[in-house]
Amino acid sequence: MDPLVQLDASRLTTREINTRLRGLPDGANVVITEPRGRHNLAVGLTRQLAITIDGNVGYYVGGLGDGPVITVHGFTGWGVGENLMSGVIRVKGSVSQSAAASAHGGLVIVEGDASLRAGISLKGASIAIAGDAGPLTGFMSQAGVILIGGNAGEALGDSLYETTIYVAGDIASLGADARITELTEDDVTAVKQLCDQAGFDHISPQDVTKVTSARELYHFTAHASAY
Amino acid sequence: MLTGMLTALDERGPDSAGVAIYGRGLTVTKDVGHAVDVCRKFGIAEAHGYQGIGHTRMATESAVTTKHCHPFVPADGVCVVHNGSFSNHATIRRELRRQGVEFDSDNDSEVAARYLALRLDDGDDLRQALLAMAKTMDGFYTLLVTTPGEFAVARDPIACKPAVIAQTPGYVAMASEYRALTGLPGIEAATVFEPMGVHTWTR
Repeated sequence: MDPLVQLDASRLTTREINTRLRGLPDGANVVITEPRGRHNLAVGLTRQLAITIDGNVGYYVGGLGDGPVITVHGFTGWGVGENLMSGVIRVKGSVSQSAAASAHGGLVIVEGDASLRAGISLKGASIAIAGDAGPLTGFMSQAGVILIGGNAGEALGDSLYETTIYVAGDIASLGADARITELTEDDVTAVKQLCDQAGFDHISPQDVTKVTSARELYHFTAHASAY
Repeated sequence: MLTGMLTALDERGPDSAGVAIYGRGLTVTKDVGHAVDVCRKFGIAEAHGYQGIGHTRMATESAVTTKHCHPFVPADGVCVVHNGSFSNHATIRRELRRQGVEFDSDNDSEVAARYLALRLDDGDDLRQALLAMAKTMDGFYTLLVTTPGEFAVARDPIACKPAVIAQTPGYVAMASEYRALTGLPGIEAATVFEPMGVHTWTR
């Protein structure tokens, strides 16, 4: 294993930290200490780095990432893994709003709960939430997978396109155009693989509820008879 | 503590800042400019009290003047700070004016403050007043309301504006962002969560 690079956030600006990270080669191991809720840590990185953040962070941690594996030993603010392209972000605690917003690829793992709008406008990434997810999870999500190990809040999957959502617990309510659909063998396999990858052992893949788009918002239907 | 919290979030609201401190009575200080400068100018770091509330403002819908600064004090001992914007504030202001309520500014947050004061004056407790406000006023809000014996946090139903609470056996603190709380004593052991709806704490 490559030697550990240690970055003390209390002695470095965010720009200094991210510049140092950008300069590291593939395979580098990094630990960032004393993050103290700092925003924008480890964003825009394109190399295969292993980054451990030792504490709670602010907004957009790991955003725009294309390769690194990031582990946060704490909770995060808004937009963890926003616009993620590839790589893995694992959060040991809970995450605030809009986790993995607009993420194209990669995997965001939340070992705690996720607040509102996780996976908003998701474009292909996977999100695995061990606990509960807040209202409007998967709002307008276009592609990808969202797995919720606990309960889902109100308006789950509101106005979603082609994202698939799996929920192990209860669903407070479905959003507009979201519907419960039949679980197939492929779904069970996909959930099992995601659970294995996330390290979740509290979910029975064959017992989850699958939510997809009813596709009734795809076309205008009002006044159709007039044409 | 308030000075540190406000300084941490200075960039969220560079237009003006205000502080209310409950000690022997209520002292409210507000001025235009950065929070760090306002705190220094008025010696906020040296002030003492059992409850404090601070705000930094980025003006979006009305002027940058001292009158438009938060906290608003719509009644004796009641302070209100707001993050967000109310879309029907003009309508509610007209209705309140018809009921004899006077305003200091054309700020939308002041409308919420005056509405809450009216409800409290009519006998509502803080929670009831905030629930009534949620039904009447439309928009985005995280509100922090304090009275000499109580404080409340209220958020709009889809939580458009941030709020983080830290609870310890010794204190309850609230801020827009966690990084404002990281300098508080014992924060590592605090219970930190994001409130939804209305939460109240009594002294």
